Amino acid sequence: MRYRVLVPCGVGALVTALALWVPVAVLAQAQSGKAAPTPNALSGGSASTALVWDPEAPPPTGWTPPRTAWGDPDLQGYYLNTSYTPLERPAALKDKALYTKEEAIAAFKKAVAQDAEVDPTTIHYDWKEYGMDAWQSPIRPNRRTSLIVDPPDGRIPPLTAEARKRQADAAAYEKAKGADVTTPGLYTRCITGNGGPPRIQGGVTAESQIFQAPGYVVLSIESNYDVRIIPLDGRPHLQPNMKSWLGDARGHFEGNTLVVETTNFRPDRNWRGSGAGMHLVERFTLADAKTLKYEFTVTDPTTWTKPWSAEAPIARIAPPLYEFACHESNYGLINWAKGTQIREAEGSAVGGNARAGVFQEEEEK
Amino acid sequence: MHSRLRSVMIALGTAIVVNVLWLTAGSMSGQTPAPAYRAPRAPDGHPDLNGIWQAFTTANWDILSHPAEPGLRSDIMGAYGSQPGGQGIVEGDELPYRPEALAQKKKNFDNRMNPKVTNDPRRFDFGDPEIQCYRPGVPRATYMPHPFQIFQNADQIQIVYEFKGALRTVYMNPHREAPEESWMGWANGRWEGETLVIENTDFNDHTWFDRAGNYHSDELKVVERYTPIDATHLQYEATIDDPKIFTRQWKMSFPLYRRIEPNAQLIEFNCVPFVEELMYGPLGLYKRPK
Repeated sequence: MRYRVLVPCGVGALVTALALWVPVAVLAQAQSGKAAPTPNALSGGSASTALVWDPEAPPPTGWTPPRTAWGDPDLQGYYLNTSYTPLERPAALKDKALYTKEEAIAAFKKAVAQDAEVDPTTIHYDWKEYGMDAWQSPIRPNRRTSLIVDPPDGRIPPLTAEARKRQADAAAYEKAKGADVTTPGLYTRCITGNGGPPRIQGGVTAESQIFQAPGYVVLSIESNYDVRIIPLDGRPHLQPNMKSWLGDARGHFEGNTLVVETTNFRPDRNWRGSGAGMHLVERFTLADAKTLKYEFTVTDPTTWTKPWSAEAPIARIAPPLYEFACHESNYGLINWAKGTQIREAEGSAVGGNARAGVFQEEEEK
Repeated sequence: MHSRLRSVMIALGTAIVVNVLWLTAGSMSGQTPAPAYRAPRAPDGHPDLNGIWQAFTTANWDILSHPAEPGLRSDIMGAYGSQPGGQGIVEGDELPYRPEALAQKKKNFDNRMNPKVTNDPRRFDFGDPEIQCYRPGVPRATYMPHPFQIFQNADQIQIVYEFKGALRTVYMNPHREAPEESWMGWANGRWEGETLVIENTDFNDHTWFDRAGNYHSDELKVVERYTPIDATHLQYEATIDDPKIFTRQWKMSFPLYRRIEPNAQLIEFNCVPFVEELMYGPLGLYKRPK
């Protein structure tokens, strides 16, 4: 995590990221000034349980989801795709899918405190000192103990034998090849931001925008400045041979929910091990005036023994997004590849594996 | 009698009116290049520019007039990649370079295929940004040989370019200030009748206008004008202001064509993996897959 943020960022991107956080903090302060204190990271979670994200709660009364001038549900805005809720449920919690609100606040406080810790004995960049972490975010406590809601154990289903073999083959190939700029994942190479869709909530460059025009939704994320164009006119998907990193998305509204189905992913995209069968369905619903409910289901019979689904509240933030020209200033990739090649040549890999750092990075996404 | 006379009078009157209108239209067409056309309206009442558009010029090779030339690597590419001839898109077909800037333009051209990747900003001094899959900047993004899509609502207009999936947000209401310079610049827009006017500022000095090495500095300002001239065409105009490089403002213009295929969509063109060998190979950091 620590290492990852600065790998693809140049100085410009760093300055951009700094600039971005200023309006976020201002907005959050303005909100807490005029309304009841929000139990989020800014308040240390010390406020009442009233605004804990509760997936079982009914929609707020006296609030009508907005519509665009042309009649579509209006999901537009800027959102911070970050969470203190782990993707997979900690093993100790077993079948416990939901915290009580009090437990949610306690878990939240613990996660916030851990996030703020910096181990002074390790090499780290000081971005936390500039607010570039989730500490100053509008994230709220979540009653869910994991983002994964299905399977019921809150864990990613086991890999298929085919997927395990694919991964072993890829690792063997990489080992024989030796490190180069293609060794790290798509994020470090600036091919996609945060590994591409779906949006697993990460700690940095998690800002995103939903923009709408008649017949279309445009989803942008600041990470790598990736754009997904979603036609709503019911057109068929591209021919199956037309694969891409971000996939081919088609959307429609069901009530107030935007449903996006994405296919045609490149098999070598390797999203958490995914292969040729990757299929994604996402659902975006405005849950209240400042929270977007995001749900997704991934299916890939070549990779997982069954589909799996996650759900997360995503908090609104202040505009705008800034250009994240990742590849243009990917200085870190050169440094990483050079350094790793030197370590490989010396046969003195750190911890027995010269590439441990990067693989760990990719896993954390 | 009366009614017949009235008919004659009406016919005469109509003929005069039609004649006057016709003459007026004839004389006006000499002054204004674009005929008066009222585009379909967006929900907010402004012209609706939503759609996929594409320029059909050879300006990405050279914004000035240029003949056909062999390919840049005709030894291995043959007719692939050769340069088609084309007439310039610049008003007056000349660029008012300052003398020292013209020398740099020539240097750019000579080294356009020779990127040199460093782990610091000196990397931006070598090679055409396009060959390295860098964001193309403005106005170059408009006449790359790829379509782009305009998404328009009352508050913002987003323009997404197929090349690299580069994104520009045009702030209509409210306007916003740039936090710092960037590749695609910072855009605030307004409507002037049928024309979308975009003021672009805060560019970095890394992008070029074309493969011929025409370039700008970080003082670049671009005012773009998009005017619908019929249901499937926009007239595009860009005024370039960069006192560090040019002795005066200059202007380019060309039409944009609507992609009317019912299934038209931007096809992902993520060129980053296409350039890894070119960029990192000379550093020994790319191993060609066996």
